Amino acid sequence: MNPMLDKLSTLWPEMTLLAGACVCMLAGLSGSAVVRRSPRWIAAVSLLLAGLCVATSSVAEPRHTGAALVGVAGLAVYVKMAIVAVGLLLLLIASQVPDRLRQTQDAEAATGRGGVFDPAGVMRGEFFAFFLLSLCGAMLCAGAEDLVWLFLALELTSLPTYVMVATSRDRAGAQESAVKYFFLGAMAAAVFLYGFALIYGATGSTQYDQIAAFVHAQSASGQALPPLFIVGLVLAVVGVSFKIAAVPMHFYAADVYQGAAGPVTAFLAFVPKTAGFVSLIGLLGPACQANAEQLQPVIWLLWIMAVLSMTVGNTLGLLQHNVKRVLAYSSIAHSGYMLVGLIAAVAAATTPGAVTAGEHLGNGVAALLFYLVAYGLATLGAFAVLGCVTTDQGDEAQTYDDIAGLGQRHPLLGVIMLISVLSLVGLPPMVGFLGKIYLFGSAIQHGYIWLVIIAVLNSAISAVYYLRIIGACYFAKPNDQTQVAVSPAVQLGALVAAVGAVMLGVAGGRLVDAARDAAAPPDAAVVETAPLPDGDAESWSPQWADTSVKW
Amino acid sequence: MPETIGLHSFILSHFLLTGAVVFALGLVGFLSRRNLIVMFLCTEMMFQGVAISLVAFSRYHANDTGQTFVIFVLTIAAAEAALALGLVVLLFRRKRTLDALAWSQLHG
Repeated sequence: MNPMLDKLSTLWPEMTLLAGACVCMLAGLSGSAVVRRSPRWIAAVSLLLAGLCVATSSVAEPRHTGAALVGVAGLAVYVKMAIVAVGLLLLLIASQVPDRLRQTQDAEAATGRGGVFDPAGVMRGEFFAFFLLSLCGAMLCAGAEDLVWLFLALELTSLPTYVMVATSRDRAGAQESAVKYFFLGAMAAAVFLYGFALIYGATGSTQYDQIAAFVHAQSASGQALPPLFIVGLVLAVVGVSFKIAAVPMHFYAADVYQGAAGPVTAFLAFVPKTAGFVSLIGLLGPACQANAEQLQPVIWLLWIMAVLSMTVGNTLGLLQHNVKRVLAYSSIAHSGYMLVGLIAAVAAATTPGAVTAGEHLGNGVAALLFYLVAYGLATLGAFAVLGCVTTDQGDEAQTYDDIAGLGQRHPLLGVIMLISVLSLVGLPPMVGFLGKIYLFGSAIQHGYIWLVIIAVLNSAISAVYYLRIIGACYFAKPNDQTQVAVSPAVQLGALVAAVGAVMLGVAGGRLVDAARDAAAPPDAAVVETAPLPDGDAESWSPQWADTSVKW
Repeated sequence: MPETIGLHSFILSHFLLTGAVVFALGLVGFLSRRNLIVMFLCTEMMFQGVAISLVAFSRYHANDTGQTFVIFVLTIAAAEAALALGLVVLLFRRKRTLDALAWSQLHG
């Protein structure tokens, strides 16, 4: 069949979201009060429809074999499903954001007094349209098989988020964070674009399978990879690390997370991060046709990025008094943990005979995909709770003092915060524990003992500031200067995220299997292994004794 | 498919050097300037540096992919320009200045 039509037929979810975004924008400008309040419902319906499209899509045979770290089709389906599921929760907790804006309230009040409705004053349509467009971009990143496509998808993920940050609150802080996010984002985009250009220059193609063929030919003939290709790959990885908020592109994270409204911060912590990691998997796939020595500079780069992200994130997190900034630094640290899984994946793909498809542990990409969902759920709950607490100045809760005694004042929010934070620490039975076992297990299996030791030490450091959040919620004197107001939608969204974090932790077998299948290499037959007993760490059989110990 | 790309391809290296210089100038300007509009123009300059490299590579490889890529890059640059100017106007209305240092309320 026509390859163009084949590719288009995998894009029904994205097209649904795009159509939904257009309808949202139009409906938000309507003169009828009912219609212009509808964009959140339109967004929900289009997300559900997109989920239906993903669920019913048949996983087509990958067009090329041996080109990628993982089969693009399987990866795309898993990532799209995760984006739809977490996207629905994000929509629940973000459903009130535009309504809280003063300009929206002013415009509605003017209409109520019989004045003329001013469409420019109301942000609902734009907010939910950009929400959908950004999710659409993240989905497109998952299906990318070409550098041009990947560039457009990454930009489609990012550009709407800049507007969402700027318009999420009335405060100057939101606009300041938007402008910082935008400028650093544009700079990072130029850096990874330069990387893409150099990769194209070195290989003569922007398609992943042709790049893979080039690298394979170089590798087979025993030649070193052209320096241009390595430099291009390094620039691309560094540029894309802006999306995942990893060192060296992490500077914006604290300011932006602090300035944006809580639900939008949760969005930033999940959607661009997912898009970034999926893009990295796609970019590194063709390069993994080379052997480990040829790729050594890139592996070192990833190693340094992982260690610095974990260490810088956790150390700076310790020094903060602002909970949103703490969670921002924790987001940087979590990117470091996920990079550990990526390093294991690259090591597996570049070492002959180390194909680990079908194994639970030792499969870095599967661990990374699982952890993305685990992190998304936990961070969503935490930011949703923060968004529910307002200070006397009408600002969102920011410091440890603002959330003091939350556990007594609003038990449900306290429990959600508790579960989310424990999952971020990685304590059993939360999903974060299972996720970290898989991530670090995959790295151990490929001999990265020191990397895992650093990661575990970092987890221990991070426990200090996470426990400080719990301490503030449960053991501090309740703060009467703040108000707690929870809308049912936010409550539902945060509750589902928290329940999910526990349920997936004790019975995450299905998701683990899904992640493993998604991470199966395109041309290796997936060995059907008996599913692990749920959340069973016992079956972790270290096989690293026979692999050489690496840093 | 080229064997390797080195300085023997004389014309290509000139174009690549031009692209790299434009990119580097943009990066230096972005890091050193404080005016929001000038900073934005510097990121545009980085994009144009990449575009020069892409066109040069396209010519060298004798395929159109690089030039197609440039068209998309220009489109994205235009979308970013629209967004940047909107943001800058929003910020200017609030503080009546384009100085980036006027916006440093958020810090650790």
